[in-house]
Amino acid sequence: MPLNAKTWLKEINSLTLPDKVKIMNVCGGHERSITQAGLRSVLPKSVHLIPGPGCPVCVCPEEDIYEAIQLALKESVTLVAFGDMLRVPVNLPRHEIRSLEQARSASADIRPIASPTEAVLIAKNNKEKPVVFFAAGFETTILPVASMLAEGVPDNLFVLMSGRLTWPAVAMLLESGEPGFDALVAPGHVSTVMGPEEWTFVAEKHHIPTAVAGFSSTSLLAAFYSTLRQLIEKKYFLDNCYPEVVHKGGNPTGKQYLENVLKVVDANWRGVGIIPNSGFALKEKYASHDARVRFPSYADNSRQRIGEMPAGCDCAKVVLGKIYPNECKLFGKTCTPREPIGPCMVSDEGACRIWWANRQRH
Amino acid sequence: MCLGIPMQIKEINGYNARCEAKGVEREVSLFMMQHESLEIGDYVLVHVGYAIQKIMPQDYHSTWELYDEVLEGEKSERV
Repeated sequence: MPLNAKTWLKEINSLTLPDKVKIMNVCGGHERSITQAGLRSVLPKSVHLIPGPGCPVCVCPEEDIYEAIQLALKESVTLVAFGDMLRVPVNLPRHEIRSLEQARSASADIRPIASPTEAVLIAKNNKEKPVVFFAAGFETTILPVASMLAEGVPDNLFVLMSGRLTWPAVAMLLESGEPGFDALVAPGHVSTVMGPEEWTFVAEKHHIPTAVAGFSSTSLLAAFYSTLRQLIEKKYFLDNCYPEVVHKGGNPTGKQYLENVLKVVDANWRGVGIIPNSGFALKEKYASHDARVRFPSYADNSRQRIGEMPAGCDCAKVVLGKIYPNECKLFGKTCTPREPIGPCMVSDEGACRIWWANRQRH
Repeated sequence: MCLGIPMQIKEINGYNARCEAKGVEREVSLFMMQHESLEIGDYVLVHVGYAIQKIMPQDYHSTWELYDEVLEGEKSERV
């Protein structure tokens, strides 16, 4: 009989813990479950749960959003993107068009989609017009995008790829010498598609306790217990606290398509900088569907340099788990979900938005 | 963006399936599930319109219990 949330909490409370333990998660879904279930308030005071780089919308670089906006405004195309991307502002003067949503109000043909299959359908139904699919997301989202391309898409569908891999951001933090966390809860659905093995390096190479978790309080508390116990016993391994969904090897079909269609490249993360081997790009054999090949580039180098957060916005520190969302001085004052300044307040998976919506305070 | 939705397969037509959850039906791609043999009545985890993993019936029910709680919580959001 598997243990329930109450029992895991009792087990955690029976541990002799160090004065301060920081457990980082790298998944917006985890942060949402933790915050909504109020797990911070029931754990021992020494346990600090840190939201880390878990929001693909938040780290999507400004030059890619700018590129998407400009393509939609200047080229005769239909631009489709996952809904969350439409409201993310880029750092431009107020009189300029700063988001896809504003470009849409300025009569650019921009449509929110919930699935790559919708992009295919829109392209099929509008054969005369190029359709640009602005694809931002982590592995869970990018495997379906690769699968869409592998299955075959209409000639008029082009992908503006802006996908990212999650583990290299954690590797970058660990190699920085100041990771800012003592244990890691690895993402549930990224591990579902890629396989949990991707996270073994955290425990084995860096001696940081690691456990994959699902989204229930039971699974999350089991993962906290596992990492805390690993820390106390100084025996570090990758635990799987979401075994009903996360299986060794992940989704082999999706991974095969990913391999066939996309290559891994160095990539810029908004507010963070270039992380080696952390982004996806279309392989040459799919160049005929690559928006970066088909259309001129509007993202000049100067834009890449200003690829940072708006003045006063601490999203970069929030994304890296260096501060809690409400430690940003704009949080809940000038920056709210209704009028977001930084990307972490836009997305449902952004730590700022999750904290604001649930009145979470540190 | 990485949340998976548990659904039950109602119809299969090649790589496409009609799936249902909580009385709502959706077209779901089975293109990423070619390594599994799937039948009508099976449960899958769906992300951005693609089935990404086969799941057991009990996990379908427990996940929906969790999501119902989350959705209930969101109704009181101050957005």
